[in-house]
Amino acid sequence: MVSAIIETSGLTRNYGDICALKPIDLIVPEGEWLSVMGHSGSGKSTLMNLVGGLDRPSNGSLRVGGEDLLALSEDGLARFRREFVGIIFQQHHLVPYLTAVENVMLAQYFHSVPDEAEARSALERVGLGHRLKNRPGELSGGEQQRVCIARAIINSPKLLLGDEPTGNLDHKSTVMVMELLKELRAEERFTVIMVTHNQEVAAWGDRTIYLDDGVLVREERMKS
Amino acid sequence: MVAVKLIPHILSWAGIVLVLLRGFPGRRSVVTLTSISGFVIGVTGTFILFRSYPGTIPFGIVKSALGVSFLFLWGISVAVIYRSTGRGVSIFRGERLVNTSLCAGVVACLASMVAGAVCACRLPATDSTALTFILLALAAGALAYTLAYAALAFDKLLSPSYTVTLTGMLVAVVALLLCSSSSVLRLDLFSPLSMKVMKGVHDFVHQFMESILIPDHLFVRSYVWNYIGLLFGKEVGFWGGMVIWFTPAFLIALAIRFERLPSVAHIRQGAQRRTLLAAAIAKRRYRLVIPVLSVAVFAAAAYQSRFPSVEYWDPKPLPVTASPAGEIFIPKKGEIDLEDGKLHKYLFKQGGREARFFVLMTPEGRLTVDLDACAICKPDGYGQAEGSVICYYCKTLIPLDTVGKPGGCNPVPVAFTEKSDGVVIDGMALINSWGSTVQATARVKEGGK
Repeated sequence: MVSAIIETSGLTRNYGDICALKPIDLIVPEGEWLSVMGHSGSGKSTLMNLVGGLDRPSNGSLRVGGEDLLALSEDGLARFRREFVGIIFQQHHLVPYLTAVENVMLAQYFHSVPDEAEARSALERVGLGHRLKNRPGELSGGEQQRVCIARAIINSPKLLLGDEPTGNLDHKSTVMVMELLKELRAEERFTVIMVTHNQEVAAWGDRTIYLDDGVLVREERMKS
Repeated sequence: MVAVKLIPHILSWAGIVLVLLRGFPGRRSVVTLTSISGFVIGVTGTFILFRSYPGTIPFGIVKSALGVSFLFLWGISVAVIYRSTGRGVSIFRGERLVNTSLCAGVVACLASMVAGAVCACRLPATDSTALTFILLALAAGALAYTLAYAALAFDKLLSPSYTVTLTGMLVAVVALLLCSSSSVLRLDLFSPLSMKVMKGVHDFVHQFMESILIPDHLFVRSYVWNYIGLLFGKEVGFWGGMVIWFTPAFLIALAIRFERLPSVAHIRQGAQRRTLLAAAIAKRRYRLVIPVLSVAVFAAAAYQSRFPSVEYWDPKPLPVTASPAGEIFIPKKGEIDLEDGKLHKYLFKQGGREARFFVLMTPEGRLTVDLDACAICKPDGYGQAEGSVICYYCKTLIPLDTVGKPGGCNPVPVAFTEKSDGVVIDGMALINSWGSTVQATARVKEGGK
């Protein structure tokens, strides 16, 4: 039996009078690829931020990887993010004046200590062995997103969060990125939570949940 | 007032206990109890010594203990820096012994004994009675108990990450002991150390360099003197002393900095490997905290030694003139009482030349007239403190009984005639004596001895 990596119960997030996430009960087994769909303002990113320790819930319980995130201090939460979570954003958030390899090493630096050989190897794994010394401005959107993937996986996270990682990419690049993620997940066995608008991207997952106005309205298991 | 003077010494001791508690993490009870015992033994033992051997012997014993601890620190620092190069040093086979309760207890007891002895040296001399002795022992015990448990409570508040290596512990303990003792003139080690360095350098230059430079050596020519002059510079003793003073702490800090990181090559997962490395680096960084703080404590000790807070009796030299016969007469009883046991300074000027001298009645009732300069040091003059005359330049303490005797750092004696109502000094002889003394230390005008 596979244990749950994420368990929420009555998880809620309010921003003043606005309830961005209404009580949600969710269990994500370890190693699952969960797609989160919904339109803008439905609470997808809010859910991802809570699960990734980027934000704190207003109510309810939230356990990720056996840790009660509500009980963690700011330092504890920072450690949790550092050691447990990898995040890929739609806007790549790469440092423009650092090269691809340096961007990956930056993640290593904040995690522990930088190791250039390992960073190079990670970029080679995502197919960017020839772009190590290029800055983000010299890379295409798909290549930049692959640098982000290398950066996200460099610290061997148990949980990989993607906030519309292919939102800016064309179809070809989207497929390339998704295939890469699938390969890496098979090798590293991390859990994926992918927030997306795109039904085609959601279909890469094992299960899709649908949010509407902060409420989990339905879920759908994909055929393998 | 005495209590205020004791505060820095007591705090130093509490710091020592705290460092020892960190250095022997599993031996808190042993360290606390032996520290308290050691402190009480140190205070009462020194008190007994003072009663049994009045004079400077007890100071000498405590100072020797401090000197030995500094030499021991030097030895250990050289050994650890040698070992950090990857070579084995056999004495470190005894490290297993170091991690026993017995060793923790012995180290804590010895360090606290010396700290207690330094505190006792700061106490004013009292007439010994059984009651005084018992009260002193009880007060020392109560104080030690309170402070040791305060240190223990503070230690528990500190993060476990702040580990201390054995060498770090040693350097901190010695630094705190030396800092505590440097404010007691008779226990100060830094000034005598500077003095020895200065004498050593000058002797070396005289004995060795002169012999190879005069006449010109085949390879070393006499113009080298131009550069050797630097060794006679103003602060050669001070800077040489500083090097010797700080080197052990720096060596130990360097040895910790160069400690090898654990081998992680066998760990496949990069993040795990880097996490272990980062933890080892952080641990090493925390271990550096104590040696680096010790450097600051050593600096504080040197500062206290260089600028002691003791108030000297240092009267302004009174101008005196000579009679037509060339004699200077100083009355015993006048504006100044020459027989009050204090040092009285005078300034005599004649024909564009001048001489500074002082008159003093020694404790044995002997009047003495001396130049306000010695044959070795720069003529910065003398002051009087704690029953001694002190050379301002090298901070050497000269017991009052020996003032008036020639040699070493003693003030140069001046011939005089004692009369019933005063002393008579030959003005010309005084000027000549001053001139030849200062000329002998002429290099000193540019600075050194």
